[in-house]
Amino acid sequence: MAELISFDIDGTLEVGDPPGCIDMEMVRKAKEKGYIIGSCSDRTVTNQKRIWSEQGIEVSFTVVKHQLESVKEAFEADCYYHIGDTNIDKQYADQAGFTFFLPEDSVPVFWD
Amino acid sequence: MPKIIPEADDLSKPFWDAVNERILRLQHCDSCDKLQYPPKSTCHICDSSDHLGWKDVEGRGHVATFIVIEDGRLNRRMPDQPYNLAMVTLDEDPTINFYSNLPGVQAYEVPVGSPVVVVFEEVAPGQLIHEWQVVA
Amino acid sequence: MQNDYRWRRDKDGLGVWEHRGKVSISGYGHSPVDRRWDGKAMDETVGAYSILACQKAMEDAGVTPDEVDGVICCDSHIAGASGGSASTWAPRPYFDAPYDSELGLTLVNSEWLVKTMGLKNVKFAPTGVPTIGEMVGMAAQAVGDGVCNTCLVIYPCGNLEGRYRRGGENSEDYARGARQWTVPWGNHGGNDFINIFPHNQYCLKYGGTHDDVFPFVQNQHRNGLMTPWGFNANNGIDMITREDYVSSRYILNPLRIWDCDRPVNTSTAYLFTTAERAKDMKSQPVYVLNHSQHSFSQRTTQPDLDEIEEWTDRAAARMYEGAGLGPSDVDIFNPYDGYSIMAQFFLEGFQWHGVKRGDAFAFYAGDISVEGPHPFSSSGGNLGNGRTRTAMYTDSIQQLRGTAGPRQVTVRAETALCAFTTPSSGGWLMLGKQPN
Repeated sequence: MAELISFDIDGTLEVGDPPGCIDMEMVRKAKEKGYIIGSCSDRTVTNQKRIWSEQGIEVSFTVVKHQLESVKEAFEADCYYHIGDTNIDKQYADQAGFTFFLPEDSVPVFWD
Repeated sequence: MPKIIPEADDLSKPFWDAVNERILRLQHCDSCDKLQYPPKSTCHICDSSDHLGWKDVEGRGHVATFIVIEDGRLNRRMPDQPYNLAMVTLDEDPTINFYSNLPGVQAYEVPVGSPVVVVFEEVAPGQLIHEWQVVA
Repeated sequence: MQNDYRWRRDKDGLGVWEHRGKVSISGYGHSPVDRRWDGKAMDETVGAYSILACQKAMEDAGVTPDEVDGVICCDSHIAGASGGSASTWAPRPYFDAPYDSELGLTLVNSEWLVKTMGLKNVKFAPTGVPTIGEMVGMAAQAVGDGVCNTCLVIYPCGNLEGRYRRGGENSEDYARGARQWTVPWGNHGGNDFINIFPHNQYCLKYGGTHDDVFPFVQNQHRNGLMTPWGFNANNGIDMITREDYVSSRYILNPLRIWDCDRPVNTSTAYLFTTAERAKDMKSQPVYVLNHSQHSFSQRTTQPDLDEIEEWTDRAAARMYEGAGLGPSDVDIFNPYDGYSIMAQFFLEGFQWHGVKRGDAFAFYAGDISVEGPHPFSSSGGNLGNGRTRTAMYTDSIQQLRGTAGPRQVTVRAETALCAFTTPSSGGWLMLGKQPN
């Protein structure tokens, strides 16, 4: 069963501004577990790609925040998740049919 | 989601009382023969309160332009996003405009230039606000 | 007496400013520009940053604290009543004095600065000070009138965790006062709304689409990346591309996220003094040729294009009259860009470089780089530096001094017009390299 996780960056990942509670080791573990992973952020795509490159993590997608629907179109999965820290993350997740988690709520779901 | 509730004050009470009776009643300066909305303590033209009264208007207008609120700051309206916010001019005096969410119109699909009529929407028990509906 | 001081030049027909060329800005200082205060680091509060900015401004001018006899500091929250996500940003854990209240943490006022910095000879330190767009006018008039002679002007900008301005009145179920006419339909009140409707009307009337603003936004980013103290230059913000811009999400469609400035935590200070005293100060002064303020009331719910154009025409006429100058005399032009869409109204209202109503998009599409013939908004403004609201003033000073580094324009730089202002209210400042 293919599952996809989309990560917001600022306020969600430790490399974000402000830093969030999901560290890069957790992101790596998610990938090792077989999740299709990528980022969905207000940062430019160029900037997102740079972050992943600096962390040495290959991701399947990097999109801006309102483009989650395009991720769904590009990747066939049984479940789609978006992890983000603001109402706007939830708004776009809901619109795209992603299950939304706040960062702290996602930890027991994906990493425990 | 219900809209945010306007709280009338001494100046605006006559307006909101009329809205609650489904009447669009605007300030009117008899000296300048000019309608005024929102209500002010003096006439916007002559700066006097001596000739300021109230006048019922028909409630017909046109959609001048619009935006779509995708990421607003009002907590209560966030679940409605995205939604339209149109600027509606009053036919009786196009220098007067109103905001409207254009009930019945899908987000992004606002017919700019269309005629509209005033309607009234409940936002709290006993409290209406004025809205504008596109004339089919 | 201090708060009754009548300093404004906020009417038409006041003639040339009586102190034209007799007041100077002789120093400036910027604190670091952070995205937000973390609530812990005591050397990064707006209080600490304001002290630092003052020290830098005094150092730039070569002035000692004992020489300072005026302190004008904006004493209101930049985020207003809606604060941050934690409602009004207070109360919070307090620290030892002088950080035992909001003063020094998220707010600064003249009294706090005078006391904390030990400024012994201050005789003018008003309260209820407006934002920097008008504050610079207050300082110029105060020095010109002799109310004080060596005046620090401080503009702090605070930001904390949480989404900006989502708290306080924006989290309430009721709309009171002026908000009863806007909030029920979704207008949270701000210059995003005030300007986006006229912007739409502008596109309808003169042609073009919203995304024609992109070259201006890109230019702001470019200039910001050449501003060593600014947020963008210090935080790895990439140069924005057209693809970044047109693929970015909307806030108030068609206003995009990149049309909006980035709130920051910082403080800026300027040192105003008499032209006479400036001769003995360390750095090259720039002279105040005029200051003007405006506060135009809108006639109905939403200002329309006609009103925005009328307001900016009037503000321009008022400033030009007081400075004794016209559009062709203005070399450096740094209007406010808190939302990108405001700049075009100022550009056309002031007719800088001959730009008339309806010409802005075509102007933007040309060469507006600092190296070119039309170096529009050489500061990079807020879009390029973060919401400091002061880049316009600092760049103007630097351009006239010839110290703007990679941003230094290649055209004549004898006069500069700058502002933090909105079309409806605020103020403008005209500076000159020479006093006359």
